[in-house]
Amino acid sequence: MILSKSTKIRLRFFSIIFTIVSIIIFFVYDNLQKNIVYFYSPEDLKNLSVTPTNKIRLGGLVKQNSLKANANSYVFIITDFKNEIFVEYNGLLPNLFAEGKSAVAEGVLRDKKYFVASSILAKHDENYMPREISNTLKKNELKK
Amino acid sequence: MLFGYIGNLALFLSLIFNVFLIFSSIKTIKNNNHINLKKINFLNNSVFYLLLISFLILIYCFTTSDFSNVAVYKNSHTEKPLIYKISGAWGNHEGSMVLFILILSFFSFIFFRSKVSEQLRFYTIFFQAILISIFLIFLILTSNPFDQIDPKPLQGLGLNPILQDPLLAIHPPFLYFGYVGFSLVFSFTLAGLVTNSFDKSWSQYANFWIILPWSLLTIGIGLGSFWAYYELGWGGYWFWDPVENASLMPWLSATALIHSNIVTLKKDKLHSWTALLAIFTFIMSLLGTFLVRSGILNSVHAFANDPYRGVYILSMILLITFFSLAIFIIKNPKKTLNQEHFFLQKDNFILLNNYFLIFFLSVVLVGTVYPIILDAVSGRSISVGPVYYHTILAPFLFIFLFFMSHGPLLSWNKQDKFLQLKNIKIFLPISVVTSLIIIFWFFDQKDITLILGLLLSIYLIISVIFDLISQKALKLNFGRLTSHLGFGILIFSIFINAYLSKEINTSMKVGDEIKIEEFTIKFSSINKNKKDNYEEVFGNFLVSNKDEKVELSPSIRKYNQPAQITSEVSIKSNFIADYYFAINLSEFEKDKIMVRFYFKPLMFWIWFSILLIALGGFYQSLRFKNEPKI
Repeated sequence: MILSKSTKIRLRFFSIIFTIVSIIIFFVYDNLQKNIVYFYSPEDLKNLSVTPTNKIRLGGLVKQNSLKANANSYVFIITDFKNEIFVEYNGLLPNLFAEGKSAVAEGVLRDKKYFVASSILAKHDENYMPREISNTLKKNELKK
Repeated sequence: MLFGYIGNLALFLSLIFNVFLIFSSIKTIKNNNHINLKKINFLNNSVFYLLLISFLILIYCFTTSDFSNVAVYKNSHTEKPLIYKISGAWGNHEGSMVLFILILSFFSFIFFRSKVSEQLRFYTIFFQAILISIFLIFLILTSNPFDQIDPKPLQGLGLNPILQDPLLAIHPPFLYFGYVGFSLVFSFTLAGLVTNSFDKSWSQYANFWIILPWSLLTIGIGLGSFWAYYELGWGGYWFWDPVENASLMPWLSATALIHSNIVTLKKDKLHSWTALLAIFTFIMSLLGTFLVRSGILNSVHAFANDPYRGVYILSMILLITFFSLAIFIIKNPKKTLNQEHFFLQKDNFILLNNYFLIFFLSVVLVGTVYPIILDAVSGRSISVGPVYYHTILAPFLFIFLFFMSHGPLLSWNKQDKFLQLKNIKIFLPISVVTSLIIIFWFFDQKDITLILGLLLSIYLIISVIFDLISQKALKLNFGRLTSHLGFGILIFSIFINAYLSKEINTSMKVGDEIKIEEFTIKFSSINKNKKDNYEEVFGNFLVSNKDEKVELSPSIRKYNQPAQITSEVSIKSNFIADYYFAINLSEFEKDKIMVRFYFKPLMFWIWFSILLIALGGFYQSLRFKNEPKI
């Protein structure tokens, strides 16, 4: 097939654009996958066959009387009424952090029962509960 | 009680007047009658005044703490200072929607007074009236601000203390004037398309209506960011939170629109693209409203999780998008004439700028919307970390800065590649030397991202200064130069700030003195203070490093209603850096207080540059307003 000169130019132009756009889309997609932080409840984690190694968020209620403070480091239990996970955190707890209230911790799992948090997410007001947590809690309360 | 009824009545009447305006306009269009602008003007004004009345009544209900009103009961309290009673009127979902609609109508109100041709004015007001009606119905059906409770409660529930802040009193109005301002561009675009008058003169008028809301939005975003910086107490000013992204998306789209509209104006090109961007910008504003108001995001803005509101707003967006795109496709503006084409010409660089901005927009859009879609489809909850935005945006930002330095120096009509080379010869050595000096002087790490960020932002700043000096038409370009300079300073400050910020977290007792890195922190004393609606405990600290000694007094507030504790940061700011201090109570070590100290360089310049960007816009919009029309 003989292509005219202008068609050839156009063809080359479009193939270059196509390549660039595909590379960019791949780049964006790849980055998105790498930087997604998944949210888990203690129960989700229990049901997982493989323990995630990358950064995740863990949410639930802080169990009453579970908080212990050492020098600048805290250990407490996050629960969804059925399953519990120990959380270790080095740093400052937000003002609204309290036992019996909901909390979201971001960090990595050391093993299935022990979570090392790099940050505890601040909430905006005292009645507020992240939707993910209220969903899990509702589910578990219904099952009870 | 009585006032509540009047407010409600005013809302209903404004809807009726609005619907009447729409139907009489349709009748005029159908029968091809003579346009009766007097009648339109009367209806348009009435809608505005009625909405204004109902908004003022709402404010009145808030200031007099009329708790028979549900919105007042839920969001106010008698012991709140007057200013927060007033700002409480738009610090909640219902009230903020009234403000939203009032601003829609306000733009319609002032637009009628512009010098645009009768036909264009008629159609713009017509489309604007449709938007107002859609939102009024939404307001009345799902979130009426004048709902009553019987019996009347004695006390209100109070406003979330972190919203009790002078900045937050003015942040929503600015943001709304920006967001909602784009509605007028949208209506004006549809009017231009429908009447086949989408041409040079259209874009001349449109300029003002694009740049004004853009400038207001810039200020609104800046205020929001400033609030997050000093109220949340984490030392950060931008978290890539979906709510922040929601305001950034229309901004990016509108920035692209400003530039493409200039091409339409100067070269009578890119009509379709400009029209599409104008429609898209408003849809992005609506998407922002949806994200923020529907309650699907966890945020201080999501006042109530009412699923019906979300569904309604989403259907509104789909409806508006569908019909506006249908109009765009049917009435596609005239095709570009084949003109002589040189690559190194200003309009091509502006087109390139548009591609980049749309790319930035897509990246933000994907990062914001993907978690929501995934959640809806598969029920998985995820969040996208800031690293995603940084890694993707940075390399493209560098190229963008380079083009931004050269594009404006090109000519509209001829190819002048020599100028290009000559400029590079000037800009490159200066920026390389300056950035190398800065890097070797201040930084231990030599990160390639940092080097490129500093180099290219300085490159842009120098090109703007060069442009400013050699400018023959300063008045004409002053707005653009100011905004571009602001952008250069902003990127420069962001990079310096990101790489030189320091953070110290520890717990301290009164009298303690600690030394970490180059800072010495001394906890000298504690004092208490009691106000009407809160108790406040101040910690007095002395922070010093080798060249600065600052006293900082952060505090903890215990609010009565709602019972909540907030940390108030203490910031000492100068042109070089901010010293930022926050304290928390430690519930578990009663004798100690947890302290957070941040050293944040060039924060002043971040705020100042945002102001510059906006001021450039204000200047330009005033100029467009006074310019003689074709």
